[in-house]
Amino acid sequence: MTRVQKMLGTPLARTAAVLLGLVAVLAVLAPVIWGRRAETVDMTGILAPPSAAHWAGTDGLGRDLLARVLVATRLTLLLTLEATAIGVVAGFLLGAAPFLLGRVLGRAVTWLIGMAVAFPGILLALFFAVIFGTGAASAALALGLASAPAFARLCQTLVAGVLARDFIAAAQIGGVGRFRILFRHILPNIGAPLAVNATAGAGSILLSFAGLSFLGLGVQPPAYDWGRLMMECLQSVYVYPLASLTPGLAVVLAGLAFNLTGETIAHSLGIVTMSGLRGQSRRARAASRPGSRRAGPTGPASVRTSGASDWPVVPADVELTSQDDGAAALLSVRGLRVTFPTESGWVSPVRGVSFDIAPGEAVGLVGESGSGKSLTALAVAQLIEFPGRVAADAVRFAGAELTDGTSHRHLLGTSLAMVFQDPMTSLNPTRRVGAQLAELGRAHGGLNRRAALARAVDRLEAVRIPEPARRARQYPHEFSGGMRQRAMIGLGVMLNPRLIIADEPTTALDVTVQAQVLDLLASIRRRDGVALWLISHDVSVVAAVCDRTLVMYGGRIVEDLPTARLRTAAHPYTRALVAAVPTMTTDVTAPLATIPGRPPGPGELSGCAFAPRCPLADDRCRAEEPAVVSAGAHRVACWHVAEAVR
Amino acid sequence: MSELKFSHVTVHFGTGRRRITAVDDVSLVVPRGSILGLVGESGSGKSTLARAAVGLAPVHAGSITLDGDPVPTRGSYRPLQMVFQDPTASLDPRLTIGAAIAEVAPRGLTRAGRAAEVARLLELVHLEAGQAAAFPGQLSGGQRQRVALARALAGTPKVIIADEITSSLDVSIQGAILNLVRDLVAEIGLTLLFISHNLAVVRYMASRVAVMQGGHLVEEGPTALVMANPAHPYTRQLLAAVPGADKPKGTP
Ligand SMILES: Nc1ncnc2c1ncn2[C@@H]1O[C@H](COP(=O)(O)OP(=O)(O)O)[C@@H](O)[C@H]1O
Ligand code: SF4
Ligand SMILES: [Mg+2]
Repeated sequence: MTRVQKMLGTPLARTAAVLLGLVAVLAVLAPVIWGRRAETVDMTGILAPPSAAHWAGTDGLGRDLLARVLVATRLTLLLTLEATAIGVVAGFLLGAAPFLLGRVLGRAVTWLIGMAVAFPGILLALFFAVIFGTGAASAALALGLASAPAFARLCQTLVAGVLARDFIAAAQIGGVGRFRILFRHILPNIGAPLAVNATAGAGSILLSFAGLSFLGLGVQPPAYDWGRLMMECLQSVYVYPLASLTPGLAVVLAGLAFNLTGETIAHSLGIVTMSGLRGQSRRARAASRPGSRRAGPTGPASVRTSGASDWPVVPADVELTSQDDGAAALLSVRGLRVTFPTESGWVSPVRGVSFDIAPGEAVGLVGESGSGKSLTALAVAQLIEFPGRVAADAVRFAGAELTDGTSHRHLLGTSLAMVFQDPMTSLNPTRRVGAQLAELGRAHGGLNRRAALARAVDRLEAVRIPEPARRARQYPHEFSGGMRQRAMIGLGVMLNPRLIIADEPTTALDVTVQAQVLDLLASIRRRDGVALWLISHDVSVVAAVCDRTLVMYGGRIVEDLPTARLRTAAHPYTRALVAAVPTMTTDVTAPLATIPGRPPGPGELSGCAFAPRCPLADDRCRAEEPAVVSAGAHRVACWHVAEAVR
Repeated sequence: MSELKFSHVTVHFGTGRRRITAVDDVSLVVPRGSILGLVGESGSGKSTLARAAVGLAPVHAGSITLDGDPVPTRGSYRPLQMVFQDPTASLDPRLTIGAAIAEVAPRGLTRAGRAAEVARLLELVHLEAGQAAAFPGQLSGGQRQRVALARALAGTPKVIIADEITSSLDVSIQGAILNLVRDLVAEIGLTLLFISHNLAVVRYMASRVAVMQGGHLVEEGPTALVMANPAHPYTRQLLAAVPGADKPKGTP
């Protein structure tokens, strides 16, 4: 989906945008088309009711009201934009003041903004209007300044968000001046949300401007805007209410158009809005929905697993050794493919993956990022979302064929646990940790409230969270990173799963915590006989825990070997990957081994995917997908296995 | 070549009862023209010490000096530069990489001189000069980290602080970046404070190593010596936590 499609995703957003476009077109064309008509005085038809000649009737000088309303679009719009621009610029400068002025002065400005925001905007506008005197220009200035505090508050939030990012620190360390940072780094990065909010804010400013003009404080005759027209129509409001409401209707429609366009775009792009800043609690409530799509083992069953007939052409699958049909395995995957539509056609980041995991076995999956590890795991767990598509010859888990088209939610919910790199994608930030674990026990484990909570505490203890009963009552943000990851594993073992899939569970953690989490996974596996599928880009992590390692490259498994043999791996890629990791025995006088080149994208493949980076590659490698050779538990997909080992 | 020296540095955050001491009376010397590795778990104060050196965190007690003079944290010349962990966050997505580098290059260069300097720096970190017009989003993670290195070098620094610069990169890219950094240090004659939680990486990079725990410096010495004969229990714990350290199964 393009950005524009995304912004205008809902009918409401489209309606608002079309309305706004109409207002803009009218502003340009109306004075040209109806300018004369709007000025034509007809003393014979003063204050005439609506008729075929004058659809909205005439005013006190017999001028056509509808024409005047249409012509007034331009002035109304220009003044609105002028006031909005003043508000945004003043708001930006005020919002950036804490950054420009330093801590002490900045705090004073922040305090002032807080005061001003609390003050009703319309009172502020009237106050300024009285000071600046009547007239269009001073009304624009008054309204602009009155809206400045709200924009300032918004800018403060946005600026603070950008300031927290490392590139600002990098620029400061590089000696880049404050103003340069403001205009080169901050402004471009808050431009989009600012523009969107300005659009929404313009709606309210348009309304207020009409109010000022209506009170006689704004546009002065002979010029006229919608507010002025409203005031002039007041004379006939008791006689022809409908006619005199025309300018009012224009104000409401245009105001709504601005407001809705801004708000809907902001919503679809996930941008902070001024109304959102005011209603923080609403935001918090929205966040409390079980937001994550990858919501643990009971994710949405939006996967369509179908036959391979209507699939884009994919290379022949890697065959497993014939004597092993995977019947004894806990998880048995054959010919798994994951395909996504892109702008340049279908791509298959996972292209025929086959492997088995025995009950209680610990299997690692390593490979560079983008090699398809996570997609493989998500596909097995039936968590690939539309428009992604999964096909497989077989995905058998705990005796059930997952590709048979029926729902396996209960089996997956109880017997398969997933642990992700970022536990916050799976833990709900607004609910106590214990309650989240307990919920799973009630939903899938058939436990009652008390039993579920007791089990939750027991599981937190099992994952070595100190004082589990107290911790169960805490929220995820009160946990440290390592403890959150343990809570997430606790969620996984709530229901005695038979397989735990852990995708980069320790990548965000530091060594000591990483070691604890790996140790925890290993001990759960030993104690409960749970199979473990550990996914990581770091061979040393997998080697610390797993009996067997699968090596993935370019969407396929290129080697499947006992972990103990990693040092003497047969596939050139595996050997390169192992050599690239510095260890406590690496020769510090020589350069580190590297893998030149970059991994292939999912689209660009012919022959062996590793050929462009492989020192052993020849013409055959570049033309033909390598066949799989196997020796016992060791499988390799490479044309030059013999040479590589030598 | 310069010497970076921390003398009794203390950094607090917050005030009153919520005050925490992130760095507590740390004294440390990064010797001229060498690489000093700084290890410790996250939250131990490594990054805070680094940020204090470049003026991003307040120093409440003690001093940080370059060749005996306070590190300048104002003005356009900054002899102390820093490379951050995540290049996606440390490069402005709205600025071309050429502009990001040029911004830090010495003032007073002509437009052509600036472009030439950008090209030279890009080549120094093994990128193509033609990539100057690319935006960070168009580069891979490893390439972005090279750009971040080039930007740090653009300021003609005497000392560079590298804070977990390979932690967000794949192991396959890590090696190339580490080789590059080692070469640069030797070629340009830089002094480098190399922060990492990966002991194998620090062992490879640094001639001396310092260990931090809970805001304190608990051990410092020549890398080979500290790794072979850790004196502090925490250092021993760190060494034991290296994946595969005491498990014969995981040999790599
Ligand atoms: N929703 C998607 N649409 C299109 N391509 C995708 C999608 N998700 C992942 N990919 C692509 O699939 C490939 C493998 O991704 P992934 O499984 O996340 O790799 P890994 O886990 O090994 O880092 C990458 O090239 C990625 O860009
Ligand atoms: S098949 Fe050829 S290119 Fe591929 S890994 Fe083996 S030797 Fe290298
Ligand atoms: Mg992944």
